[in-house]
Amino acid sequence: MPMVLLNCDKDIPERQKHIYLKAPDEDSREYLPIANAATIPGTLSERGCAFCGAKLVIGGVLKDTIQMIHGPLGCAYDTWHTKRYPTDNGHFNMKYVWSTDMKESHIVFGGEKRLEQSMNEAFDEMPEIKRMIVYTTCPTALIGDDIKAVAKKVMRDRPDVDVFTVDCPGFAGVSQSKGHHVLNIGWINEKVDTLEKEITSEYTMNFIGDFNIQGDTQLLQTYWDRLGIQVVSHFTGNGTYDDLRCMHQAKLNVVNCARSSGYIANELKKRYGIPRLDIDSWGFSYMAEGIRKICAFFGIEERGEALIAEETAKWKPKLDWYKERLQGSKMAIWTGGPRLWHWTKSVEDDLGIQVVAMSSKFGHEEDFEKVIARGKEGTYYIDDGNELEFFEIIDLVKPDVIFTGPRVGELVKKLHIPYVNGHGYHNGPYMGFEGFVNLARDTYNAVYNPLRHLAGVDIRDKAQETPVIQREAA
Amino acid sequence: MLEDKIDDVFGYVQERCLWQFFSRTWDRQENIDGVVDQAVAILTGKAPNKESPLSRLHYADATIMVGDLKERFPWVAQAGESEIREVMDGLKVRLVDTAITRSTNRELTHHLY
Repeated sequence: MPMVLLNCDKDIPERQKHIYLKAPDEDSREYLPIANAATIPGTLSERGCAFCGAKLVIGGVLKDTIQMIHGPLGCAYDTWHTKRYPTDNGHFNMKYVWSTDMKESHIVFGGEKRLEQSMNEAFDEMPEIKRMIVYTTCPTALIGDDIKAVAKKVMRDRPDVDVFTVDCPGFAGVSQSKGHHVLNIGWINEKVDTLEKEITSEYTMNFIGDFNIQGDTQLLQTYWDRLGIQVVSHFTGNGTYDDLRCMHQAKLNVVNCARSSGYIANELKKRYGIPRLDIDSWGFSYMAEGIRKICAFFGIEERGEALIAEETAKWKPKLDWYKERLQGSKMAIWTGGPRLWHWTKSVEDDLGIQVVAMSSKFGHEEDFEKVIARGKEGTYYIDDGNELEFFEIIDLVKPDVIFTGPRVGELVKKLHIPYVNGHGYHNGPYMGFEGFVNLARDTYNAVYNPLRHLAGVDIRDKAQETPVIQREAA
Repeated sequence: MLEDKIDDVFGYVQERCLWQFFSRTWDRQENIDGVVDQAVAILTGKAPNKESPLSRLHYADATIMVGDLKERFPWVAQAGESEIREVMDGLKVRLVDTAITRSTNRELTHHLY
C-alpha cells in the first residue's frame, strides 16, 4: 500500500493521502500526495502563515527597502532576520525591523492614521532610504484598513519615495505559499516595467528564487561576473527594489526556487516573452549543468566550460574527501518544498548519501511530482508533516542527520539525532561548487559529532559504554 | 528493444529534467515538444533552431540532455536517424502521458499562474 497511514494518524485517517512510500514497479502517478491543501484538524502543522511567505521569504530580503509591518509587534519580530540573508551594504535588512505596533485602540478605531504616521516616521528617520513595502497582517486586514490608499497618500506627500503594498494577511491561504504568490503577482502587476536601468552586457538575465541565504547570491554572482552576464535583477537575494522594477529588460529568467518565485517567471514569459530556465543551484553536477544551459542559451559555451573546469579543480578534491566519509549515511530532509527535489539527487550523486524521508511544509503537487521522479524507492514523501509523524518516521528510517529548521531541529536533538539548518544553513553558503563543500562539511560535522552519542550515555550507570567516534580533520 | 531504449531516455528525463514539470499543461507541452524536437535535430546532425528566445532555451536544455544520453547509453551514438526519431517520439508520448494526461496535479489546468 503506497499511501501510508501512520500509527499516530489512526484518528485522522485523512492524513494517509499526504504520505507516500515509493515502492518498486508501481506507477507513482497514481499516488501523488495531496499538497497545498488546508491542514487537517487534529494535526499540529509546522506551517507558517501567508504573510510570512511574502515578508520573511521574499520582500524582507531586499537590501534597500523599509519593510513596514502593519500589525501587532509580534508579526514583525517573528519574521525578522531568522532566514540569515546578508547583503553587501552592511545587512540593512537584518539590522532594522519596522512595525506599526497595533494596539487594542487602533483595532477599535482603525489603524490607517497609525500606518501613515509610521510610514512617515520611518522615512524621516532613514532619509537615505526611499523605498518601502507595506504588509497587512491578520488584524489590520480584518478591520479593513486600506493600506494601498495610505501608500498612495504617502507617495503624493513624498514624491521621491516609492511604496509597494502586499495585501496578504496570515489567514489568506493554507500556508506561506500563498504569500509568495500574492507578492509575485502584485509585483509584476504594479512595479515591473516602471523603470529602465543601464544595460552593460549583451547577455542579461534575472536570477529568480534565490534569497542570498548566508551569501548564496553573492557566491553565484562571482560566476556570472566571470561569464560576462549582467544580472538585471536578483529576485530577491541581495537585491534592490529598483532593480526588480527592471525585470522586463532581461533576455532570460533563470529560476532556482520554482515554488516561491515561479509565478513571476511565468508572468514575465507570458507578458514579455522572456523564457524561463529552471536550474538547480545546489550540488556540483547540477551547478555545472545549470551553467552549461545558461551559456548554451547565450552561445558562450567555452566560457562556461572554463569556469566549470576551474571550480571543479579547486573544490572537487575537498568534496570527494567528504564523500568518502559520508557514503551510505542516511538523511532526512524536512524543509519547505523545493529543497526536497533540489537536494535528493545532489546529495546522493555528489556525496553518496541516501535520502530516506522528505517532508514539505508548503510544497504543491508539482513539487511532489518532481521529488518523486527524482527520489529513491523506499523513501517516504510527506506533505505538511507534524511532530508525531516525524517521530514515527524517524523510528522507521533511522536517519543519521536531518536537514530541517531550528524548531524541528531542537526536537530531534532530544533523540540524539543531529540536525543541519535546512532553511538558514549552519555555515553557508551552500549553493555553487564551494557551497556544496560547505554543505558536505556541515553534514560531516553533524554525522560525526561525538556529543550526540555521548548525550545518550547515563554516566551514573557504569555498565553503559561511552562510544568512541573517530572524527578526522578535513 | 525500442521500448528498452525509450525506458532509458524516459528514466533519464524523469531524474534530471525540470522542464517536464513546469506549472501548467501548456507549459509542459511546449517544453516537451520544444526540447525533444531540438534533441532530435542535434542527434540527427541537423542544425538546431536558434531563432527565437524560446527555441534557444529549448536548445540549451536539449544540448545538455543529448550530451548526457550519449554518455549514459552507448546505443545512442550507434543509432540511425529513423531509430532516433522512433525513440524520441516514444519519449514524447510517455512524457505527455506522465506529466500531463495522467498527472493528478490539481493546478495543471488553472488558467492563471
